[in-house]
Amino acid sequence: MSARLIEIHNAHVAVVEAGAGAPLIYLHGFADVHACMDELQPFHRLLAKRRHVIAPALPGVNGSDELGDSTTVDDMMFRLLQTLDALGLQDFDLVGHCSGGWFAAEFAVRFPERVKSLSLIGASGLFVRGALIGDVFMNAQPERGVDYKSLRKMLFSSSDHPVARRYYPDIRGDVDVEVRRYQMLRFGSFLGFRPPYFYNRSLIDRLYRAKMPARIITGESDGMVPVVHAQAYASGLSGSGGKPVIIKGAGHAVHLEAPEMVAEAVSEVLR
Amino acid sequence: MNPVELYCWHFMSYPYLPKDFDEKYDTGWVTVPNELWDRERSRGLLREYTDQLVYASEIGFDGMVLNEHHQNIYGLMPSPNIIAAALAHATKRGKIVVLGNLLPLHMNPLRVAEEYAMLDNLCDGRLVAGFAPGSGPETFNYDVPSAPSRDQFWEAVDLIREAWTRPGPFAYEGAHYPLRYVNPWPLPTQRPHPPIWIPAGRSKGTLREIAKHGYSYFLSSRSHGSATAKSQQLFEKTLGEYGQQYAPHRMGILMSVVVGETDAEAREQGKEGIWYFLRNCLKGHQRREGRQLTYGPGVPYIPSEEWRDFLSSTDPTTPLLGDTEDWDDLQTSQSILVGSPDTIYERIVGILESAPVGNLLLQFHLGNMNFEFTRKSMKLFAEQVAPRLREASLKIYARRFPHLTSAGVAELVK
Repeated sequence: MSARLIEIHNAHVAVVEAGAGAPLIYLHGFADVHACMDELQPFHRLLAKRRHVIAPALPGVNGSDELGDSTTVDDMMFRLLQTLDALGLQDFDLVGHCSGGWFAAEFAVRFPERVKSLSLIGASGLFVRGALIGDVFMNAQPERGVDYKSLRKMLFSSSDHPVARRYYPDIRGDVDVEVRRYQMLRFGSFLGFRPPYFYNRSLIDRLYRAKMPARIITGESDGMVPVVHAQAYASGLSGSGGKPVIIKGAGHAVHLEAPEMVAEAVSEVLR
Repeated sequence: MNPVELYCWHFMSYPYLPKDFDEKYDTGWVTVPNELWDRERSRGLLREYTDQLVYASEIGFDGMVLNEHHQNIYGLMPSPNIIAAALAHATKRGKIVVLGNLLPLHMNPLRVAEEYAMLDNLCDGRLVAGFAPGSGPETFNYDVPSAPSRDQFWEAVDLIREAWTRPGPFAYEGAHYPLRYVNPWPLPTQRPHPPIWIPAGRSKGTLREIAKHGYSYFLSSRSHGSATAKSQQLFEKTLGEYGQQYAPHRMGILMSVVVGETDAEAREQGKEGIWYFLRNCLKGHQRREGRQLTYGPGVPYIPSEEWRDFLSSTDPTTPLLGDTEDWDDLQTSQSILVGSPDTIYERIVGILESAPVGNLLLQFHLGNMNFEFTRKSMKLFAEQVAPRLREASLKIYARRFPHLTSAGVAELVK
């Protein structure tokens, strides 16, 4: 595993890599923002047994430059294209969690020929009437100044889950870790904190373009992205077999709670 | 130099919450259920509050201060410009300070330029134009993205100033508000434009913007101690960087004042409103109990490095104003001053000695305070505190800023 800062057109991007072999791009979300810094999670290490995992940090996070005033999905797509240019990658497997899953889907519908397989884990990005994506910003405001119970509940199956407790303790944690979380929220605010509220209304009608093998994975009790979003993704992405993989007893950060099961589901589409 | 200017500030809070509100509800902001609004009891409420400000004008306050809040019990003025229009019509004297319109919440700042220009015409040049970016609750109320909101705010202020001063029509080539035709009618009465006040904390970037454009700085902190003095010094230093000299009237601070005939009467008459304000109105804003929405990781409008500095220099368990436990605690925070005219005078002079600012924005009505007592408190202040305070302020300014002292002040100081 190594972390480095790469230069792209007019900006820098922080990249974490592990494993060897064919490339797999991993786009992180909020709950696993730590994963793309200096400590890949068990889930990512499992993927690295089969692939060269490359995890670029989203704009503004862990040394990646912010996108400035640009706030559109289009800007995010160009950031990704420029990152791939700099890495010299043409085609690859693509995996994303939460908003990282959203961008993976946006990329796959634009450039389906470059994506060998697509795996979305608790992915936001779709507008599903009556099933709003949860308010991570409201929940990121602690109660009584230090209590992150409701944030843990939103991101994990239980506010007492050990991984949840580890990353979102009820005290002011390590400043670096807190700053990373803040950076992710700031990026989310630039891109997702208004209608479209972590969604792009147009995306659902574009999914038909992405015909590559796909896995849509969600935790049974995802408190951030309702399970019906996974069903909508699965219906739209023909390569998914039409059904999401729903992991029982897991929450939004399903890959942190059940790494083996999620890695296995992803592996099924890695050829 | 002019003496300290004394303004009557009103929040227009909702006073009819159930007695057990604090036990039953976790916030007074954004998600506080509006089924608590009592339509019958609330008849005439906004008129009464507006009349209290008219009364302030009649008994000699230098101005009336309004502010914009949304979806909370703390302030019932989603559109302060509506109240300002009523005041423009009902008063003959005193500045009308709208502090301020929350620019990122408005679809287009040109509309604010137009409404403020209308108000300045209606009140014959008495408007003070305040602009604010809005803090945490606003991002939730109006789905305003926090991260770009500061940049958006300064562009909006720039657009409004240009709309008032640059001959139209002209094209404004902003990133957030590009407009092909900027050409407002009417223009404001005041030249080159109404004074512009900006509420801010201690962000160096914000102070620089305020200094650079000649605006006035209103410290948005409610508690006054050494931090207020530091803010004044920082602003003075920042003005220096732009070749300007600090003058007290470039800066203002907010405090709440409850005046009785005696200290005991002030406490007795004020206590219900004060504790209602602290416990209910500040819940969700400046209280650790419940969820505070004003500042924090969920409203990420400051750059990451500034957030790092904040984390490194603060303790999240520090009590906020709404956590005030008792009268002694309240006394220490210097946020809500309670007492006889003599007590109030002494305490404000003390604050002015350490932070010589020229504008005091004074909140008299707190929470569910009795309306009659609110007016009595205002009158005691206007008659028994204000005259002495004005005189004392001139002496303080003359001592601290001898280079600004006019002959008139020199005379008074003798």
